[in-house]
Amino acid sequence: MQTSRSKKQQTTNTVEEPLDLIRLSLDERIYVKMRNDRELRGRLHAYDQHLNMILGDVEETVTTIEIDEETYEEIYKSTKRNIPMLFVRGDGVVLVAPPLRVG
Amino acid sequence: MSLRKQTPSDFLKQIIGRPVVVKLNSGVDYRGVLACLDGYMNIALEQTEEYVNGQLKNKYGDAFIRGNNGNSPSLYSCTTSKISPFVYNQGHQQVF
Repeated sequence: MQTSRSKKQQTTNTVEEPLDLIRLSLDERIYVKMRNDRELRGRLHAYDQHLNMILGDVEETVTTIEIDEETYEEIYKSTKRNIPMLFVRGDGVVLVAPPLRVG
Repeated sequence: MSLRKQTPSDFLKQIIGRPVVVKLNSGVDYRGVLACLDGYMNIALEQTEEYVNGQLKNKYGDAFIRGNNGNSPSLYSCTTSKISPFVYNQGHQQVF
């Protein structure tokens, strides 16, 4: 049976895959955007191809939007908590980046 | 609409370095220069800007987007419509 998944062929010039570039962020602080409006900021200790990650000194931010029944205004609420060491399951990860600089 | 045999790898080499729009199934928009991508449609972008309704965050350097988020990268400069759907099918078939 022919598999339709095509693996990118490595040519003579080594084209780095996105996961190789994450490797450069090991032991650095990173920002992770996850499903369900969650964000993590922590130090990347380990990762794998599923984007499972071990993060240390993590601050998790959960953002919720409440809508006032009367005024219909959107109230953004964010809940934060700190976790010293955290395993993140990769299927919840949307995006990984260096920590955001306020610009 | 005949696709040559080498089209997957050629296509990947072709679009690297181009400015792209990556739309996730959550509705969030990421615009940046495509640094690299792999067979699972994991994407690395440079100079990324995130758009939800208005502009929210600026990410400089690399932003990595996981391939399963139902994104379909569309190219600013690409005129051939067959490329977008082809890439989407490639990512859709990945099962973890």
